[in-house]
Parts: sequence; C-alpha cells; structure tokens
Amino acid sequence: MDRRIALKQLAWITGGVILIPSCDFTQESVLEAYQKLQVTASQRETLSQVTNTVFPGVKLKKADEVGLPDFVLIMANDCLPESEQEQFLAGLKGFETFTKKEFGKTFKKMDADEAAEAFRNIMAMESEENPDLASTKEFLGITKRFSLQGYLTSEYYMTEIMPYKMIPGGFKGSKLISELERINPNG
Amino acid sequence: MANLNIQHKKENTFDAIVIGSGMSGGWAAKELTEKGLKTLVLERGKSVEHIKDYPTTNLHPWEFEHRGNINEDVRKENPIISRCYAFREDAQHFFVKDTEHPYIQDKPFDWIRGYQTGGKSLLWARQVQRWSDFDFEGPARDGFAVDWPIRYKDLAPWYSHVEKFVGVSGNMDGLPNLPDGEFLPAMELTAVEQYFKTHVGANYPGRDIIIGRCAHITGNAEHYAKQGRALCQHRTLCQRGCPFGGYFSSNSSTLPWAMNTGNLTLKNNAVVHCILYDEQKGKATGVLVIDALTLETTEYYADIIFLNASALNTNLVLLNSTSSRFPNGLGNDNGLLGKFVAFHNYRAGVSGEYEGLTEYTTEGKRPNGGYIPRFRNVQKQETGFLRGYAAGFSGSRSILTDHSDIGENLENSLLSPKFGTWRVGSHMMGETIPKEESQVSLDPNQKDAWGIPQLKVSIDYDQNDEAMITDYLEQMTEMFESAGFKNIRTRDDKRAPGLDIHEMGGARMGNDPKTSVLNKWNQLHACSNVYVTDGACMTSTSTQNPSLTYMAMAARSVDHAIRESKS
Repeated sequence: MDRRIALKQLAWITGGVILIPSCDFTQESVLEAYQKLQVTASQRETLSQVTNTVFPGVKLKKADEVGLPDFVLIMANDCLPESEQEQFLAGLKGFETFTKKEFGKTFKKMDADEAAEAFRNIMAMESEENPDLASTKEFLGITKRFSLQGYLTSEYYMTEIMPYKMIPGGFKGSKLISELERINPNG
Repeated sequence: MANLNIQHKKENTFDAIVIGSGMSGGWAAKELTEKGLKTLVLERGKSVEHIKDYPTTNLHPWEFEHRGNINEDVRKENPIISRCYAFREDAQHFFVKDTEHPYIQDKPFDWIRGYQTGGKSLLWARQVQRWSDFDFEGPARDGFAVDWPIRYKDLAPWYSHVEKFVGVSGNMDGLPNLPDGEFLPAMELTAVEQYFKTHVGANYPGRDIIIGRCAHITGNAEHYAKQGRALCQHRTLCQRGCPFGGYFSSNSSTLPWAMNTGNLTLKNNAVVHCILYDEQKGKATGVLVIDALTLETTEYYADIIFLNASALNTNLVLLNSTSSRFPNGLGNDNGLLGKFVAFHNYRAGVSGEYEGLTEYTTEGKRPNGGYIPRFRNVQKQETGFLRGYAAGFSGSRSILTDHSDIGENLENSLLSPKFGTWRVGSHMMGETIPKEESQVSLDPNQKDAWGIPQLKVSIDYDQNDEAMITDYLEQMTEMFESAGFKNIRTRDDKRAPGLDIHEMGGARMGNDPKTSVLNKWNQLHACSNVYVTDGACMTSTSTQNPSLTYMAMAARSVDHAIRESKS
C-alpha cells in the first residue's frame, strides 16, 4: 500500500496528529483536521507565527489565544477556491525557504519586530514574473484576511472588546452622538 | 379486499387538500380549518417545527465554524443557490441545493426554492406592500397581458384580514399608489433616510420615501400572544427562523393556528405527482402523492383542492395532471398554461455617501428598510417604456477601522474606530411584462428523482426591462446628486431572472376562459374545485413584493369555496 494513503487512513482512525513509527525523518506527519491542505505540524507552527505577527498581543490578545491558526486553516481548507488554495499552500510550504533566501534568516528565527518588518516588506514587493513571491504574497494576504475575519468575529472580541448584542430589542434611526461614548462597531 | 379499499379510501379522504405549506398554502390551511373543514396539507419537504427545528437560531457569530461562509465544495456543486443572498452558513439548511432537484434552463434562470414545512415563508424579506388600482388596471390601460378580473376593492378587506393576523409594521402614509393598511407602530427611518425623504418630497412631486411595511410584530402584543408570538426583538437573524415569532411565517403562525383547530393533517415528504380528475363528475377528486423518501405512491381525496406549490411548481403540477379530458394539463384548454410568466427586475442599484448629519448615528438593528413606491407612469404613460419600478432606499452611518497594517498598529486601529460618512444605497424592483414566450414547460425526456418530468424554464429580460434599468439609474443618480450625496456608484449586476425570488404567472387570472387559466375567484375556469392562490395566478407583476397579495387571495378564495359548497 502506498505510504501516503496508509498514513491518511491511520490519521482517520486515530483522529488526530499521528507520529510515524519509523526512522524515516524526511517525511513528517500531516494534520488530519485539514484534509485538503495536508499540512504538517511544523507548517502549522509557521502559520501560527504569521498570525501572531498580524496580532502580536500588544494591546489585545494575540492570535494564538484567539485560536486564529486553526481558524485560518479551517477556512483555507473548506472555503477557498482551488486556485487560491494552491497559492496559499505553495506560499506556506515555501515560506521558511523564501524568507531565508530573501532576508538571510528563516521566519521562525526572527523576533517579533523582524517578522513584522519581513511581512510588510514582502507585501510591498513587486511580484510580477516571480511565482515564489506571488504565492508568498497570496499566502500572507489570505492569512491576514482570515485572521481579521476570525478576530473580529471571535468570542473574545465580540464580548470583551466590542460587545455584540444578539437581542438589541429595538432601533433608533437618529441618535445624537455623545463624545464620551466609545464607538462600538458591534453596538 | 373490497372492504380494505373502502376503508383506505375513507382514511385518505378529507374535506380539503392544500398542496404546499408555504406563505399562501399556510393561509389556505388556516382559513379552511377555522371554518371546520378537515384539511390535509401536503408538503414535499422535511418537517420544520417552529423553534424546535431552527438549529442555528441562537448561535453567536463565533459558534459558526466558517463564520457564515459556505464551503467551497458546496458552492461549486450548487452555483445557482449560492447566488442567493440568504444562502449562508446560518440558513443553508432551508434552501434546496441545485443537485437535489435539477431543472432545465432554456435561458438562465435562478430558481430559488425552500422545500420544508413553511417553504420560503421562513426565508422571505417580509416586505408587505398592498397593490392599488394603479396596479390592477395596468394591463388593461397599457394593453398587455389580459385585464385583471379583480380590482382593489375586491381584495382590500382581505388585505386587512391578513394584515391583522400576520402583524404589519408601517405608517399611514396616505399614498394613492400604495394604500394604507392595518398597521402596528412603524419602524424608524434613519437620519439620512429622513433627510432624503424631506429633500425628495420638496423637489420631486409624486415621489415618496417611506419606511417599508414589514410583517413584524411591533405592538398589540396580547393579540399576537394568542398565536404564541411575541414582539420583534430586532435581532435581524430572521432567515434562521425566529424563536420569538417576531416575523410572520407559516411555521410560527398559520400552521400552528390551523393545528389547534384539530382539523389539520400535515404530511411531509409528500411530493404531488398530479391532481386526479374524474370525467364523470367533471371535477378534480384528489391528488396522487409520491413519498419523497420511499417513492411509495398514495392517493388522497377531497372536494376542494388548493394548489399552493410555489409559482413554478404549481405550473408543473397542473401541466403534469393529464387526463383524456385535459391532455395538455389540468385546466389547459387554451394552451396558455405555463405561459406569460414574469418576475421582478432587481438588476440595478445605486450607492453613495452623505457627509452631513455628522452629529447623528443609529442604535440597534432594523429588519426593514426604506421604500420608494413606483412613481413612473402612475397616473398616465409618460416615458418610453411601460410601467415602472419601486425601489429600496436605506442609509446608515459608517464606522471606519483601518485594517491596512499589521501588528501593534492594527491592534490600535481595532481599539479606535471612527465615524465615517453616511452610506446610502438603493435597489430597483421593476415590473416586467408577461410575454407568451416567457414560459415553463415539461421536458419530454428528463425526469426528476420522483419520476416527474423536469421543468424547462425559458424566461428572459426584454427591451422594456433594459429601458427601465436605464431610467432607474438616471433618476436615482439625479435624486442622489440633488440631495448632495457623493461618490455615487451605479451597478447593473446582470443577474438572471429568478434571483429576485418573485417569479409569477403561468396560470393567470382573467375574465375570459379563452385567454386565461383562472377566474376571478382563482378557480380553474375548466375545473372549478381547484383553486390556485400562489404566484402562478398572477396576471401581471406590478412592483410590490407579492406575498401579501397571495395571502389575501388565499383567504378570499377559501371564503368563496366555502360559500360555494353551502349553496
């Protein structure tokens, strides 16, 4: 049986991360929760570092604490058109190599400031005729988009930061704005 | 054996059968059962009981795995339903997927369906504007379709009857082209909507902006408590089903009411194959039903049959009800059944911004919007196209948050949103002219999963629609500019017919059996114990959201059927 298929089946049975009982360290286990993506734990770690770069937790909770890495992967797995999904994956899988080549240092070796700078620099680069850069930008763009969506609709943000009311109970069409009142997009 | 058959026939015999449990079928069921008739309601879809079967109704945004988005696999497999604005993660279980019930598009047509108890009444936009004689007299005045066999005075008492029961929020606006009704307290216009109303009122005689009349309970709570319904709580999550019964649906209102009479039998997964016709008696005797799950067939019998399967499916049932007396479909002596189908033209919209009124915002949520009644060609023909359009108009204060950066800057931005301009938007609801070539028919070869011929749909826009779009965009842009709105943008999304979810006609009403299918009481001219009181009966479309008119017609026709049966 093909090793890859066997791994996948084992993943189905165990229902989570599987450790490969072998000495072949060249192939890493895939995370079963994201069937289409076939990402490994270390790729998820890279993604987590990217989402923590988007939301580093200086003034608000950071991405990890709001569960963003999993949310981004779920959305990338379930809700992206195939072409975008391919770009996202190519960008993610090549991200450490790309950053090493571009900045002389892999993303995971960067501190928070360096990571943010790298993120901004990549997004500002001209990607014509550079497929690696194009997919890296696509990966970062999609990750940021889903990070924002996940953050703005998280329980944390919608209850503690900008409280949302499921039952407003009424509607006023003209309300004088009070300078003292905090502006709440969910209010 | 003979005894068994007699027993079976007795068990399957009712005073009345209603095909369809949606907006108009629910009303037929309520009226019939209240008058003491043992009534069988046949619903082709699954059971959806009020509150119990609203699985998403109390979920918070973060409790949806995809935060509202639809899975890509589902979207790819179901492009038609995926174009519907309400087909989102929270309500997707109430829509028919393309793959579940295919049909044939001779021309692009997005057929949006809800197969379950309550049908699309769970999902509707809840706008309930009355027709006036400017609408009923349209075909006769402007020389299209056939003359409506009824006028406003025929329907007015039934509009009132329905409004009192469903609960309609609105203002007495005193407009001749949009008659007032039985209203509960109106919802408020926003500051910018009020400003636009005042501006248009002063500068454009005959044009009005009003708050929509919507089927939400905003007062008289005790009266609606008898239905188990409570005041609208402004959640604006209506499409999930409302646990308060704040808006009207068959599920929350007419069906439980009918059930309480003890006279209702509701049967789910009951796909109607055809209506049975008895040549000796010269009338319909019942229906043939296929169980959607087991494919088992059963006959049910009644002296009164109400067909409320939704506009196009009603056409399908009639076309498929063939006999030697009616080889081309029940009541189809003139060959017009399935023809002269029309819809509402929703293709165009205009948006803009208003920089004034900076000291105001809104508070809470509003399951409703502003409404501009038709102002073109009302009193007389005045443009190069026939009829006209109503329009939605809504405006709300924007709140801006800078999402452009990442890191600490982004976090700071999220903590310091700012008020932006007022954003305003409008969309058109154009009357389309029913044409003989706009039609549905049965495909001779392709069948659906229940062995019933697939429906072939051939409906399109015409030059009148194009001219109306141009005029709407011009007029609305001019009114926006005149009101000082900025960044005005127009759009024509070229959507296919059907996405308006206001398809109508195919079994039109009229005075003459040679040129129409139904009479003034919604009876088939040629088979008077079959009543059609859903969208299929419509002779013309006017511009108003049609559900209120279907409900009023259903109630009026039941009253007629009962008076007939007593005479």
